Amino acid sequence: MIWFRQLFSRRRLYDDLSEEIRQHLEQKIEELVAGGMSRKEAAAAARREFGNLTLVQEDSRTVWRWPSIENLVADVRYGLRMLRKNPGFTAVVVLTLGLGMGANTAIFSYINAWMIKPLPYPQSDRLTVFLSHDTKKGWTREGLTSTASFLDFQNQNTSFEQTALWTGWNFNLTGDGAPALVEGGRVSWNYFAALGVKPMLGRTFTPDEDQPGAGHVAILGQGLWQSRFAGDRKIIGRNIKIDGESYTVVGVMAGTFQFPLMGLANLWTPLALTDKERADRGSSWFTAFGRLRPGVTPERAGAESAAVFARLEMQFPQTNTNLTLLIDSMTDEIARKEGAPEVMICFCIVGLILLIACANVANLMLARATNRTKEFAVRGALGATRGRLARQLLTESLLLFFFGGAAGTLFGLWGMRWIEAEIPGHIRGYLVNYGHVDLDFTTLGFTLGIALLCGLVFGLAPACENSRLTLNRTLKEASGQASGSNRSARLRRIFVAAEIALAVVVLISTTLLVKSFVISVRTSPGYNPANVMVAQLALPKTKYAQESRQRNFSEDVLARIHALPQVVSVGAASSVPFGGFGGWAEVEAAEKPVPQPGERLGATFTAVSPDYFSAMQIGLVKGRMFHSADTQGTSPSAIINETLALQFWPNENPIGRELRFGEQHTVCTIVGVVRDIKMYQLRPRPERQMYVPLAQFPSATLGFVVRTAGNSTTMATAIRDTIWGVDRDQPISSVEPLETLMAIVDAGNRILTKLMVFFGALAMFLGVIGIYGVMSDLVSQRTHEIGIRTALGASPRQVMGLVISQGLKLALIGVAVGVLCALGTTRSLATMLYQVTPNDPLTFIAVPIVFAVVAAAACCVPARRAMCVDPIVALRYE
Amino acid sequence: MKKSQQRDLFPGALEMMILRTLKRQPLHGYALVQHIKRTSNDLLQIEEGSLYPALQRLLKEELVKAEWAVSSTNRRVRIYRLTAAGAKHLQRQVSSFERMLEGITRVLTPGES
Repeated sequence: MIWFRQLFSRRRLYDDLSEEIRQHLEQKIEELVAGGMSRKEAAAAARREFGNLTLVQEDSRTVWRWPSIENLVADVRYGLRMLRKNPGFTAVVVLTLGLGMGANTAIFSYINAWMIKPLPYPQSDRLTVFLSHDTKKGWTREGLTSTASFLDFQNQNTSFEQTALWTGWNFNLTGDGAPALVEGGRVSWNYFAALGVKPMLGRTFTPDEDQPGAGHVAILGQGLWQSRFAGDRKIIGRNIKIDGESYTVVGVMAGTFQFPLMGLANLWTPLALTDKERADRGSSWFTAFGRLRPGVTPERAGAESAAVFARLEMQFPQTNTNLTLLIDSMTDEIARKEGAPEVMICFCIVGLILLIACANVANLMLARATNRTKEFAVRGALGATRGRLARQLLTESLLLFFFGGAAGTLFGLWGMRWIEAEIPGHIRGYLVNYGHVDLDFTTLGFTLGIALLCGLVFGLAPACENSRLTLNRTLKEASGQASGSNRSARLRRIFVAAEIALAVVVLISTTLLVKSFVISVRTSPGYNPANVMVAQLALPKTKYAQESRQRNFSEDVLARIHALPQVVSVGAASSVPFGGFGGWAEVEAAEKPVPQPGERLGATFTAVSPDYFSAMQIGLVKGRMFHSADTQGTSPSAIINETLALQFWPNENPIGRELRFGEQHTVCTIVGVVRDIKMYQLRPRPERQMYVPLAQFPSATLGFVVRTAGNSTTMATAIRDTIWGVDRDQPISSVEPLETLMAIVDAGNRILTKLMVFFGALAMFLGVIGIYGVMSDLVSQRTHEIGIRTALGASPRQVMGLVISQGLKLALIGVAVGVLCALGTTRSLATMLYQVTPNDPLTFIAVPIVFAVVAAAACCVPARRAMCVDPIVALRYE
Repeated sequence: MKKSQQRDLFPGALEMMILRTLKRQPLHGYALVQHIKRTSNDLLQIEEGSLYPALQRLLKEELVKAEWAVSSTNRRVRIYRLTAAGAKHLQRQVSSFERMLEGITRVLTPGES
């Protein structure tokens, strides 16, 4: 407890010490006077003999202190005072750092939410997903290779505690109000247990309920339960009408439960696989995930899956050739679908921006410290060691970076909210926590961590640099500006060049990404989406079991919509571009033999009404569109896109050829070739597309495309009413402009592009500020020299040229280095670029030129000031 | 300046000399430094001030204690005296110093190896 007592008795200790030293000197002086010296001489001699009085007192006191902590407190207080005294400098630095760290905070919050935080299920690291993989063709996709194969794996594996099957499903809910389409899923009985979640009310499914015919039970989501059933706690055991049949509610899931792979879900029924589905070796409608046994790694499970599927391949070569099931962590799969690669690119870019901001700040600190040389010289003369001064400077920069981090947290919070607001509601269900991110301790810790790290790294250079100057500059100081520290100036120039190089790398990267986006939006989708409304619905299987009823429904709706005022044309399709439905079939030229299993090629498969192409304005290349003669009873016809035509019949006319498709090996005659259209993505690779007449291949999923003459939004109600005029109980999943559907699909790229524009601008801004700062400081340091030059007859133009050429040289070095770096790094963007090469020549030429011009412009301001230097004032200025 | 002086005396040397001097008789700071300077024949260039940090360290470690008194010249002075711990510490320091000195001397003395 000595230290404790000392803490409080220190004042007395110090007083004793001062008194003692005073008495010591007095006694010495007295003795010297007694020896015959004058009092003045004696006082000086006593002081000389004693040594550095201040330092002795300082050192003596230090004995009683915890020097590190107390010096820190003193340094912090001093630092705060210095920052307060220079509000302009402080504001610029804090703002610069705040922007840099804010961008990092915002992006990191998404990395944290998607890649670091565990999923909201107990022991979520044991959850995995299953992906189909073709070992020969190399593709990997979601979903199972086939239901039967997966069930075999389910029975044979020893790695998994549980595996569950599921598929997203849209339920038609009738009774209790207007018919509603409810998103949800059909899931195997152990779906909830495998995730480790429990219902808030009632129970989950039992194995018995997961049998065909027994599965008429349902679990509601809290949202649906509250909105449609007013949160009635007696809901358990009640019957509700789903797809025209009666289901008993057995449970309610809390609103906090979410399964991002399924998206929004408010209703679940048992999968109840039929025997036919169980025996399906050719395909699967289902997706699966599993919970590993404790201690089993995904790698081991993967090895087991490979072994099981190798056996299946031997057993069922027809269906299982080359196919296997990959096992991936659920966290990674969800993150990948959320856009983890894009977020990582953003993270790299904001990292570079932070470096630029830090270099900027280090530069400002170097510049300011140059103006503080006198202060340090005095402190050095008073006995401060170099280390002590360096520590003081480092504390000051850490303080600045700390404030920068605080500002960054605020900016980051704002950025997080901005990104969140940009996410359209339609895709939130696929994002963990519905896309909401919080400023949690991990994110705060990250921001604080980078503030500290950058403060140390970038504060160190100015600290060392300035503490170094102290002693030998003391005497030179009188000679003024001419001795401008060369080392410091060189360091600053290096910082600026590096900063510009980084900014160029950022600017080139962001330009490439933005250019890709612009191209993807600008290139025609193959149809004209303007003024097109899309109404989508799914006919219930029970009510529309017969194909004739499906056909009648679509023909009836088409005729009635066509009769509406303002409707230019209307068509129907089994799936519309960027809609919720899709079709796919394996296909080959009929004149060729059926390929080996695993060798068949796929194509998108759409059944369309005759007017579909004209309503969408899809261009015909060859042959004809469908017409009313392509109907039930006549031989099947098909229309293909240019890519399919080119791949199957290069340099030949495909019209009149026959195409074989699907599991039934249906053969149809090609009557026309149309342009490629964008079906699911705005950045498609060329894909094979085929169309068949809706009359010959009726569909339960339907999308009506309505081209209107005027304001399309008022049409939505009219279209809805028309459909309900045909079937009062038919829910409609959505009536929306086609352009909206396209925008939703592209939401991620839209956000990414907006961020890129912002980041690019920020990088450029910081880089230009950097070069402006250095040049204007250089001018004020060289005022004396410029004055002499002017006095010796240099024209203002020459002086201006001097400054601009120096700044431009710096900028050009930075730009050149930046371009070289960018050449090496942009390759990592390749997967995110669309019709733009990573080394896009235009970008690599335009960005450096723009940057150089802007940098030159930034140099003009200090150059003009240099031009106006009055030699008389400059020479007198000391 | 400060550094070169520190280099002339090895760490702890000044403390050892202070303890040794105080073992003989309690003294105040000024008398202490005069005594050390005198007995060393001014061979050790000690700044008088450097005594005080050393004294503070000894005080903190409770190897010496101090109290105010009035000197023969009627001056308020702080008399330092050795504590029991200080005496023990001095003994240890001196013996280890002697061992070190002997070692150094042997190396420095030319002759038989």
